[in-house]
Amino acid sequence: MATAAPKTLKQARETYNTSGELVWWVFMRISGLMLVFLVFAHIYANNIAFNAGEIDYAYVANRLAQPSVKIFDTFLLGFALLHGVNGLRYSIEDYVRKPGRRFWAKAALFTITGIVFVLGTMTLWAFSYDEMGAAVRALN
Amino acid sequence: MYRGREGQWAFVLHRLTGVGLALYLLLHVIDISLVMFGPEGPFNAFLAFYHQWPFRVGLILIMAAVVYHAFNGIRIILMDFTDWGVKYQGALWYGAMGLTAIVGIPVLIKVVPEILGIA
Repeated sequence: MATAAPKTLKQARETYNTSGELVWWVFMRISGLMLVFLVFAHIYANNIAFNAGEIDYAYVANRLAQPSVKIFDTFLLGFALLHGVNGLRYSIEDYVRKPGRRFWAKAALFTITGIVFVLGTMTLWAFSYDEMGAAVRALN
Repeated sequence: MYRGREGQWAFVLHRLTGVGLALYLLLHVIDISLVMFGPEGPFNAFLAFYHQWPFRVGLILIMAAVVYHAFNGIRIILMDFTDWGVKYQGALWYGAMGLTAIVGIPVLIKVVPEILGIA
């Protein structure tokens, strides 16, 4: 991973011999198209259909108590993190030119992304928000 | 064709909004994970802090970044997968900007009064 960035097509061909970058290129287009719908729906539900300034624990607990929200948000979390981390990787490779710095920048990025994925998945699945959600539904 | 023209601005804005949204996503997931501490935890106090107007204006910028990144992303897909996309990439960029405004203005009409406390 800590190899010098190739500067010519010849160097690039000597450095890389897999189609990994093509797979990511295709993934960015497919996930991007899916995220248009996933993110627009997420923003509509929490910022347009509801006043975001009134979001509180009860509102979030009520949402996370619903299996449909858990499943939707899991897809959103997974695709958004993969799309985002790969976009940040492109940016690091464009702007961080020194191999050592590039290696550590990417190592930090992948570590943080992994931690955030675990944290987000735990938030969605590891806790029961039913009691608080039921209290909110009783109020409505 | 490229330097200082539509294609370059499309790229610069796509890069800036993309990096901004990715960093916001990481922060957003960490923020919301505070809900795991339960109703007596720090979640409500944290939310009250983020309901202050500078952060709500920030949220408008996040939404604008999402809408631009989405429509310019569709422009990129059209450039990659159609035989006319590259030829009309300049016009497509103005289309993406126009659609961003068309989606953005109703959002402003909904959200700005909420921030001003008159909704």
